[in-house]
Amino acid sequence: MAGLATYLPAYLIFALLLFSFGLIAALARRSAIGIFMGVELMLNGAALNFVAFQALRKGVIANDSWLHGHIFSLFIIVLAAIEAAVALAIVLRVFGSRQTIDADRADQLRG
Amino acid sequence: MAVSDLFVAFCFLLGGAAAFFTAFHPNILYAAISLIGSLVAVAGLYGALGADFLAAAQLIIYVGGILIVILFAVMMSEDIYKRRFFEGAKKYFLPALAAAITFAGLVKITLSADWSGATKPDFEPTSRAMGWALVGPYALVFQYVVVVLLSGLIGAVIIARPALKMKKIDEDLERLGED
Repeated sequence: MAGLATYLPAYLIFALLLFSFGLIAALARRSAIGIFMGVELMLNGAALNFVAFQALRKGVIANDSWLHGHIFSLFIIVLAAIEAAVALAIVLRVFGSRQTIDADRADQLRG
Repeated sequence: MAVSDLFVAFCFLLGGAAAFFTAFHPNILYAAISLIGSLVAVAGLYGALGADFLAAAQLIIYVGGILIVILFAVMMSEDIYKRRFFEGAKKYFLPALAAAITFAGLVKITLSADWSGATKPDFEPTSRAMGWALVGPYALVFQYVVVVLLSGLIGAVIIARPALKMKKIDEDLERLGED
């Protein structure tokens, strides 16, 4: 296991693991907040990929002194914060109108 | 084995186990709490990769902010203590299959690529370089994110506040028409 900290595929596979568990949570959970937690996990996995490539593939990325990967991850974190605010607002609104946040029961628009 | 290798392995184990419970724990409260483990593990990996600013931002925004929001919303879930592990196992079958196929395929692609050019992460502070990048090549993107943040927050406030009486809206519209 020596050299794990500089072994890029380990980070990529861990990020993929986070993404897969997030996918399972987003698809299988019935509670709207569970779906939201799955989406957060998927965003974290993607953001970790950017940072891992930035740190361990120096010289391959053009102009890597601008830290493109870090900036991308920062934007992902900020957009996740916006998403959390809007998601909480929607959850509050749905809870206010039907006393549940079960996503299967908010089916008013079903055709 | 270096200390950094041990730390990274610990973060992998913590994050993987916590992500498993986030996906599979029937109690949504425990799932939300184990999400903290995943987010902290990712923050630790940011630190191990030399991204000090991002590690701090991850801890402050995700663990401090978003998780509070999630734990607040968890209070609106019903009978969270009644469910048992794998009670709804049938519901998990197709999503788990889809995720397993995605995982296997992407791991195969990842391992088949040539990563021999990897370099060591350097541990200079990154906040200065990130600040220059945000006002340099990424200034326009930064402004877009600011506008999205503002409009998202305004939209969240409008969505979340109690529904206005339609009568009052009609009165307001009439008064606007008279002016």
